[in-house]
Amino acid sequence: MFGYAIRRMIQLAFVLFGLTVVLFVLLKAMPGDPARVMAGLGATPATIEAIRVKLGFYKPLHVQYWRLIGGLCNGQLQAMTYHKPVWTVIIERLPATVELGAAGMLLALLVSIPAGLLSAIYRNSPLDYAVTTTALMGISIPVFWLALMLMLVFGVILHVLPVSGRGATLWGWSFLTIDGLRHLIIPAVALSSVQMAMNARLTRASMLEVMRQEYIDTARAKGLTERVVLIKHAFRNALAPVVTNVGLQVGALFAGAVLTETTTAWPGIGRLMYESIIRRDQAVVFGLALFMGACYMVSYLLVDIMYAYIDPRITYD
Amino acid sequence: MTDPNRGASTSEHTMVKDYILSLMLPGLGHAMHGWWAKALVFWSLLAIQGGTLYLAIMRGRLAWFAYSASKSPSEYWLSTSVLFLLLCGVWVFALLDLRRSIRARNEKNYVQGYWQIVSRRFSKDPKGIVGLLIIVFVLYIALFAPFYARGNAVKMDLVHFLASPSPEHPLGMDNFGRDVLDRLIFGSRVALGIGGMATLLNMLFGGFLGLIGGYFRGISDAGIMRFLEIINSIPFLVLALLIISLWGSSILTLVIVLGIFGLGPARIIRSEVLSVREEDYILAARAIGAPTGRIVLRHVLPNAIASLLVVTTMAIGVNIIVVAGLSFLGFGIRPPMPSWGAMLQQAQEFMRTAWWMAVYPGLCIIITVFGFNILGDSLRDVLDPRLK
Repeated sequence: MFGYAIRRMIQLAFVLFGLTVVLFVLLKAMPGDPARVMAGLGATPATIEAIRVKLGFYKPLHVQYWRLIGGLCNGQLQAMTYHKPVWTVIIERLPATVELGAAGMLLALLVSIPAGLLSAIYRNSPLDYAVTTTALMGISIPVFWLALMLMLVFGVILHVLPVSGRGATLWGWSFLTIDGLRHLIIPAVALSSVQMAMNARLTRASMLEVMRQEYIDTARAKGLTERVVLIKHAFRNALAPVVTNVGLQVGALFAGAVLTETTTAWPGIGRLMYESIIRRDQAVVFGLALFMGACYMVSYLLVDIMYAYIDPRITYD
Repeated sequence: MTDPNRGASTSEHTMVKDYILSLMLPGLGHAMHGWWAKALVFWSLLAIQGGTLYLAIMRGRLAWFAYSASKSPSEYWLSTSVLFLLLCGVWVFALLDLRRSIRARNEKNYVQGYWQIVSRRFSKDPKGIVGLLIIVFVLYIALFAPFYARGNAVKMDLVHFLASPSPEHPLGMDNFGRDVLDRLIFGSRVALGIGGMATLLNMLFGGFLGLIGGYFRGISDAGIMRFLEIINSIPFLVLALLIISLWGSSILTLVIVLGIFGLGPARIIRSEVLSVREEDYILAARAIGAPTGRIVLRHVLPNAIASLLVVTTMAIGVNIIVVAGLSFLGFGIRPPMPSWGAMLQQAQEFMRTAWWMAVYPGLCIIITVFGFNILGDSLRDVLDPRLK
C-alpha cells in the first residue's frame, strides 16, 4: 500500500512535468505579443522591445521554459496585466471559487444521495421514473443557461435574489454575511446541477448493484427489518463509489466554474482564467492551468488511495 | 389472408402482389398482412416528407424546380436532394421490410439476428422511442431548415429589433431584428453538424487509442494512458478555450479541437477492449493463427460495438453542450452564423428587455441533448441486459 502510494506520486510528478511542457508549447504558439500586452496602449516600439528582452523572449526555448518554471516555483513570476506575482493573483481569487465549489458540491450531495437512494429502493415506481428523468434532464442542461434562467427569474422578474456579483464578504468569505450568502445561491445552484444529476444516477446504480449481492439476502433471511437492511447493509456499501467519485469531479467543477463564474460575474479563478485567455496574460493562464491540473491529479491520487482504504478487498500490488 | 394450407406457389403469388401494392404506396403491403403499426409508421413518414415537399414547393424553394426567380435555388440543393433521397428511401425500405417480415413469418426455422432482437427490445422501450423521436425531429429541422424557416436567419430588420413574440414572429426578434425562430431552426444545423462531426472524430481517434492501448497493453498502453492523464487533467473546456484562442475560432477548429482532444471515449473503449480480449473466442482466434489486425477488427471491435454505440450517442450530447458553452464564451461559432450558444451570448445583454432571446435557445439545447442522453440510456439497457 505504502509502496503503491510512493509509486503513484512519482508517476504524478512525471505527468505534472508533461503537463507543464504541453502548456508551455501551447502558450508559445499562442498568437498575440505578450510584451505589447504588458506595455499597454500607446507604448513606443522601444519600450516593447525592452520588455521583450526583459522577459527573455530572445533566449532559447528551453531557457525560457526553465525561467517560467523557476519563476512559478519561487513565486516571482509576474502576471502581465496585474503587476502582481501570478500566485498572488490566483490566491486572491481562489476563496471565491473554493466557496462556490464547496457550496455546489454540498448542495449536490444533499439532494442527489437521498434522491438516488429512494429511486433505487422504490425501483420502477413513479418516483423512480421522476428521479431518473430529472437526472437525465439535469445532465442535459447547460450550466450557463441554468444560471441565466435563475438570474432572469429570481433576479430580474421576482427581485428576490441579486442578479450577479459576489456581494459583501467577511474575512474574504461571502457565506459569512447575509448579503454574500444571497449572492451565492444562484451560482451554487447552477454549478451543482450537473454534479447533482450525475451523483443521483451513480447512487441509484450503485445501490441497485449492492442490493443484488448475497449478503443482502443473508441480512433479510436472518430477520432484520427492511430499514436496517437498506440503511446499514446496503446504503453504506453503496456509498463508497459515490463518495470516491466526488474527488473525480474536481475537474468538472473547474470547467463548470469557468462558465458559471463568467455568467454570474463571480470573481473566482474560473472567471480569472477566462479573462486571462482574453487578455492573453500568458503567465496567469500558465499558472492557473497548472494549478487546476495539479488539483485534479492530486484529488485523483487521493481517491485511488482512499479507495483501497475504504474497501479492504482492493489491493494495488 | 392467413390460410394455413396455402402452398408455396400461392405464397409466392401473394408476395408479388404485396410488392406491387407496396410499390404503389409504402405500407399498403404491410396493411394487407395486418401489420398496422408498421403501415402507420410508413404512412406517417410519407405524410411528413410530403408535407415538407409541399412546403418547399409552395415557398418556391425547391432547388431545380423553384419557380420563384427572386432567389438562386442553389442554396437549397442540399435540402432538396436529401428530401428526394429520403422519399425514395421510404419506398425501398418498405419493400425490404415487407420481404423480411413475410419470410420471417413463412419460414419456420427463421432465426432472428442480434440486431433484430435488439430492435424488438428497443421498440418496447418508451424511453428510447422518445429519444429517437426527438433526435429525428431535430435532424429533420436541421436538414430542411431552408424550407421550414421563413426568412434566412441573417437578414436584419432594424425597425423591429427586440420586438416581443407576435403572430408574425412567434418567438420574437433579437437585437438586430432577426427572427428568433428562424435562427433557432438554422442553429440546429450547427449543433448537430458540429456535434456529429466532432463525435465521429472522437470515436475514430479515441477508438484508435483505446484499441491500441487495450489490446496491446504494455508500453503503448502506459504511454497512451499517461497522455490521456495529462490531457484530462486540464478541464476540457479550459483546454478548448486555450487552443481556440491559439488557432482562432472557425467551424473547422471547433471540430478538430473537440474531436481530437475530447478523449473521454478512449478510456471507455480501452476498458471495454481490455475485457473483450480476455474472452475465449479471442484466444481461439489467436490459436488458429489469425493475424492481429484481423483479430482486432473482426473479433474485438464487433464485440465492443454495443458499448461504442452507447458512448457515441452520449458523446454527441456532450459535444453539443460544449460547442454551446464555447460559443457562449465567444470562442465558438461567430455571430452572424446562427448557433444556439452564440444566441445565448447575445441574449445576456438584453436579459431585462428581451427574455425570449435567452429562453428559447437554451430550451433547444436541452431538448436535443436530452434526446441523445435518453437514447443512450435506453441503448445501454437494450443492447446489453447485463449492464442494467
